[in-house]
Amino acid sequence: MAEKKIRLRLDKLTKIYHTPEGEFEAVHEVSLEVQDREFLVLLGPGHCGKTVLLNMIAGLEAPSSGSFYLDEKEVRGSHGAVGMVFQKTGLMPWKTVMQNVELGPKMAGEDKKTRRERAKKYIDLVGLSGFENSYPSQLSGGMKQRVGIARAYTNNPEILLMDEPFGALDAQTRYAMEDELIRIWEQEKRTIIFVTNNIEEAAYLGDRIVLFSECPARVKEIYEIDLPRPRNNVDPNFLHIRQVIAANTDLAL
Amino acid sequence: MDKKTKKNKFADGSTKYALLSVLGIAGFFVIWQLLVVSGIINSKYLAAPTDIIKLFFVKIAETAPDGNTLQVNVFSSLRVSLLGLFTALILGIPLGWLMGWYRWVDRFVTPLFEIIRPIPPISWIPLTILWLGIGLKAQAFIIFFSAFIPCVINSYTGIKQTSPVLINVAKTFGATNFTIFIKVGIPSSLPITFAGIRVALGNSWSTLVAAEMLASSAGLGYMILMGRAFARPDIIVLGMLVIGVIGAIMTALLEFAEKKIVKWGGRTR
Amino acid sequence: MKQRNLFLEILYAVLPAVSIACLLVLWMGVSGNRPDLIPTPAETWSRFADTFDKPIMRLSFFGHILASLRRVMTALLISWSAGILFGILIGWSRTGKSVFGSIFNMLRPIPPLAWIPLITIWFGIGETPKILIVVIGSIVPVIVNTQSGMERVEQLYLDVGTVFHANSRQLLFEIAVPSALPTILAGIKTSISTGWMVVLAAEMLGAKSGVGFLITRGMDSGDTALVLVAMIAIGIVGALLAVFISFVERMICPWLRKK
Repeated sequence: MAEKKIRLRLDKLTKIYHTPEGEFEAVHEVSLEVQDREFLVLLGPGHCGKTVLLNMIAGLEAPSSGSFYLDEKEVRGSHGAVGMVFQKTGLMPWKTVMQNVELGPKMAGEDKKTRRERAKKYIDLVGLSGFENSYPSQLSGGMKQRVGIARAYTNNPEILLMDEPFGALDAQTRYAMEDELIRIWEQEKRTIIFVTNNIEEAAYLGDRIVLFSECPARVKEIYEIDLPRPRNNVDPNFLHIRQVIAANTDLAL
Repeated sequence: MDKKTKKNKFADGSTKYALLSVLGIAGFFVIWQLLVVSGIINSKYLAAPTDIIKLFFVKIAETAPDGNTLQVNVFSSLRVSLLGLFTALILGIPLGWLMGWYRWVDRFVTPLFEIIRPIPPISWIPLTILWLGIGLKAQAFIIFFSAFIPCVINSYTGIKQTSPVLINVAKTFGATNFTIFIKVGIPSSLPITFAGIRVALGNSWSTLVAAEMLASSAGLGYMILMGRAFARPDIIVLGMLVIGVIGAIMTALLEFAEKKIVKWGGRTR
Repeated sequence: MKQRNLFLEILYAVLPAVSIACLLVLWMGVSGNRPDLIPTPAETWSRFADTFDKPIMRLSFFGHILASLRRVMTALLISWSAGILFGILIGWSRTGKSVFGSIFNMLRPIPPLAWIPLITIWFGIGETPKILIVVIGSIVPVIVNTQSGMERVEQLYLDVGTVFHANSRQLLFEIAVPSALPTILAGIKTSISTGWMVVLAAEMLGAKSGVGFLITRGMDSGDTALVLVAMIAIGIVGALLAVFISFVERMICPWLRKK
């Protein structure tokens, strides 16, 4: 990577919840720089903090303190440049695949013809041609997540947030979806921030991996993964990286 | 609209909403009072809340215009509706359980039940009067009908949804079908059965009003019907309020009983 | 063992027929011995046929059914539109819930039929009071279900809406209302059977047409066969309405269809 333009900068983001049992800190002073068009993986044990961090970037939750900057401009609330793929897909069961995918431009008031053309392009890209009029309940888990990815891309985000998108899939589908995601990413280069708790997945996908600690989430280490793509998950270099990260990871119980 | 409040249900502002509820109800009564007192609504059509409170105390001693004091009417209504309701519970719930558990009962009873089910209980009134005469038995029979149907449906649905895993576990321990029915089937049907009892209670109380208006000479339904006959809106509204309050109290008592009995807190709705 | 299973299968297959046969035999037995308690099936049938030759109050049998259906349908249309709007108000806006939900919950325990005397004092005995009573009865399940559907919209769908920049109107109409639709439809289903029951009661308490009127007419003139004919008709119409609305539900919510 020759030029390293910084797209997104997090500055001491912190999230504290006030519950009847007292205060609970989910994210502790996370500072990060996300480069343009990179595939950044946020890796951490258990359920702690990563999703909250992502929700804050997406504008779903307000940080307790700290701030973040998109192209050096401070951002608050949800932002047009940020798209998201949800772990539980969040597809609306009452909408067809097409209606789900065109959600973003429709909310923006784009006319039907343009938004359908674009939605069609991404439905084709994720390999779901012919399923435009199916309802989510008629699709498999992997296909649903493809719809989720197409929906996010159709909204033309500059930064794509992915919250454990393959967490609910079986191992076989998961590998296939990882390859699929890399293919799409190489074709439509966007900045991706991908959350996972699976070390192998992280090493397979990421340009860089940000390793988080157990609760509250804070940055523990950042790894640059220089392996060429497509990566081979039995390659000795790959296994070495995996081991290094695993040794540094907090146990989640 | 209020999207933020959905996220933080217990965040600040709950006192504000409690206050708004009080204001809403208070406003309702104040507007009602003003409409009647100012004469915008003629007192021939509606009585003011204050007059109804006064009437409540008068009616405890007086029998006019329907011939009974308030408490006699309340007692009469309660007797009829509870008689009908409990008969329905005692017959309907076990019947639903048996239908849901034993296939031959299901095959035999369900057709009869499906024939009777769509006929509203109120339409049984003429036949019932023919069979049992006007009085306690006839009214209780109508109420029985209205409460019987949800009891059967819910206990049937409830026991049908017993987890097959639980049944298989019991079988591996060598339990007989009847033991599994009693020890596994019935307990796991209770949350849905209780939902049925709640519907039955509501049905029985609202059917009571109809039964008393059509075939009775006492009770709250009869009292409001006489209020109509004597053009006494105050009697009618008092009757409606008493009916509403008693209905609400019975529902609350049932919810209390449900919490005591279904301690594991299964699905309720 | 095999033979026993075969025997059971046959038993299960014939039992429904046996039970209906038992009902008919019971009916014929009782009506044959005590014609004062219930008319025979044959009498009931001929009474039904008679209604076509001799109209009751200038209306044929189906005319009376139509009169009731018209009242119910008018009332239901009012209940559905008003009930869904009010349900959205108290299910989506916390302020709306506090102010109006509390009043609604206070009035709700009063059974719809208990409104009949007051409504007739206000509106006399024409069509309006009957329709109004059916509205009072049938609007409650619509409001209750709409409210609970709107309160239980999954946060995830609203989050998706936020990420895709839906404004508050879009969140409401594109996401919250459709996601509550199955629950709302369940309320509409209940409202139909409630409405059908309430119209009957309203007609029994004073009307010159409708199935409820037929029942009172039969009761007052000692015409038990007419009562029975009306009851059967009421049951059949009620069952048909239930079938019809299930069909409509599948049309409106195609995503709930079984694959």
